[in-house]
Amino acid sequence: MHAPCTAPPGALSRRGFLKVGLGFSAALACAGLLPALSGCAPAPTNPAAGMRFLRDGDVALFGALLPAVADELAAREPGQRALHLGQALHNIDDTCAAMDANARAELRKLLDLLAIGPLRRVLGGVRDDWRHTDAAQARRFLARWRASRFATLNAGAVVLVKLCGVAYYLLPAAWAGAGYPGPNPTVFNALHA
Amino acid sequence: MTVPDLYSAGIASGWNVVDAATLAAPLALDADVAIVGSGAGGGVAAEILSDAGLRVVLLEEGALRTSGSFRDMDEGRAYRELYQEGAARATADGAIAILQGRAVGGSTTVNWSSSFRTPPQTLAHWAAHHAVSGHAAADMAPWFARMEARLSVAPWGMAPNGNNGVLKRGCDKLGWESHVIPRNVRGCWNSGYCGLGCPVNAKQSMLVSTIPAALARGATLVHRVRVRAFAHDGKTVGALAGEALGADGRTPTGVAVTVRARHYVAAGGAINTPALLLRSRAPDPHQRLGLRTFIHPVNLSIAVMPEQVDPYYGAPQSVASDHFQWKDGATGAIGYKLEVPPLLPGISAGVFGSVGEALRADMAALPRTNAMLALLRDGFVPHSEGGRVRIAGDGSPVLDYDMNDYLWDGVRRAWLSMAEAQFAAGALRVRPAHLDAPYYADWASARAGIAALPLAKFRAALFSAHLMGGCGMSDEPRLGVVDSGGRHHQLNNLSVLDGSVFPTSIGANPQLSVFALSAQNAHGLAARLVR
Repeated sequence: MHAPCTAPPGALSRRGFLKVGLGFSAALACAGLLPALSGCAPAPTNPAAGMRFLRDGDVALFGALLPAVADELAAREPGQRALHLGQALHNIDDTCAAMDANARAELRKLLDLLAIGPLRRVLGGVRDDWRHTDAAQARRFLARWRASRFATLNAGAVVLVKLCGVAYYLLPAAWAGAGYPGPNPTVFNALHA
Repeated sequence: MTVPDLYSAGIASGWNVVDAATLAAPLALDADVAIVGSGAGGGVAAEILSDAGLRVVLLEEGALRTSGSFRDMDEGRAYRELYQEGAARATADGAIAILQGRAVGGSTTVNWSSSFRTPPQTLAHWAAHHAVSGHAAADMAPWFARMEARLSVAPWGMAPNGNNGVLKRGCDKLGWESHVIPRNVRGCWNSGYCGLGCPVNAKQSMLVSTIPAALARGATLVHRVRVRAFAHDGKTVGALAGEALGADGRTPTGVAVTVRARHYVAAGGAINTPALLLRSRAPDPHQRLGLRTFIHPVNLSIAVMPEQVDPYYGAPQSVASDHFQWKDGATGAIGYKLEVPPLLPGISAGVFGSVGEALRADMAALPRTNAMLALLRDGFVPHSEGGRVRIAGDGSPVLDYDMNDYLWDGVRRAWLSMAEAQFAAGALRVRPAHLDAPYYADWASARAGIAALPLAKFRAALFSAHLMGGCGMSDEPRLGVVDSGGRHHQLNNLSVLDGSVFPTSIGANPQLSVFALSAQNAHGLAARLVR
């Protein structure tokens, strides 16, 4: 009998770990020092109101990224925009809360990194707090990470874009923009007659 | 009209169905056989073992969701309620997205209903290279026939939808092999919503076929229960320990579920079955457990057609091509099967991976969009050893899967094949799902562009919906976790009946392979237990 394998096994996956996991871990190790150095209070660690995974800082991040990825959201009138943004945020929160421990931990590293001002500025090129970042700035950040030669940053951008794009286009309000008429009408109407 | 709900009627007539989320006190059950997992393997085993007169307890981590809750035909609801990790499961590094079911019926509740026999080349390879016996094509033929009859598997009789039609037309133009996909449906409405749970009970998933049959025979189904471990002494399993999950389907309530049985069947599928055995610290003297996990790595190519495709409506998969599957034999350069995925808006946004104006344009073109996918047949050569399942600190599964030159060569060739077929079918523009790929306007520029795409995780969008291996079968204990009959090599009253026993990937959508192999081995198990 041998102990359950909880360590990253073998050279292959260790390489993967270095490329992705350690990138965020190393950045976070530095990040841990920053509040002390800069005199900032640590970010709250409990979920935002009405959320199961996303914290206040994450809500601000996705609040900036969602209209950048799904730009028709940015064009909505304010009431609709707030409603659909809120629904998409809840879709993202549901997805994150459903992830297993490993994925949640990796995502948490990424989100924490982006919540810390100095790291956001150095790694993401985003000067302002996410609450004050406009769609063009957010798109520049995503483009920079996608174009990076570091797989860690590619990974971060890919996961953020995917979370935003899927969360938005799951909304019935987004279907018109996809030319999707909704559930197959013949079947749907028969089932709901 | 109302589609009859099999379960409310069944439960009213006395079926034993327990929602563990409602348990206020610990539950202890006795059985002849305890089956962990209710998908393609566990569902088939439950029916066969119940038919043999054995008292079966079937345990499922996911919830019981039936046709009534599929009526909304809503993508978001399906991902939340019916998929592993809310459809956000991925390899440990996040580079390969994994679609796997998590519900009563497992992935059969949400798959696209493609039902292929295991290719004879695959079965021959297992016998020749993995010391597998009793599963040659001739041995398996009656089991395929039996499961095809049981689950109404037949080549799709209606015209392919627009999305599949593009694949058919491209293959015809180029003189490539293609074929009509057999589907496990009875009275199919051709809606296209197989992936969200069939709203009309036409798809013959385990949810509407074998599990109701087992329940009618007196089996007990416990859902929303996570089996933590088998308790054993190194030779024999004495009990299994589970924890009830709450109404959210994920958070343990603290209520214990325990089952004592003569025999135990692990049927959680690849990823979850190896993780269960790792949590159980099952004997693994040759260090095989969790290794050789195969995923049919999938890459995609997106085409905008001149005509309306409506890729979200109609039977999602009805045409496939094996033109590139066995070209270089089982052990040459990697082979692949070409198919199409259905494109509902949410999953489409994920596949496009574009941002801002580009995403808006991609989405606006959805009604005229075709997507093709290639299933890479991994595991047939020594340098395609698959991935490895391990467990996180809380016992949840983690899959490491690395790409190498052998696989990347297949990825690039498959992008070329798909673009060639899409242009042959009349595509206006084609784009491989890759961060650096633009839309190509013709085949010549696609050929040149694809040749230069960097092959790297995250730059290439990669997916898997087929999880196989991790508890490989072999009659040689050095080479496998279980023998060819699914019996665990070290624990004498434990069997594995699911796709985790495959020694390689299949080279086709695997559900019928799981059905038939599990039926054959469950039949053998029933004979031993009732003797």
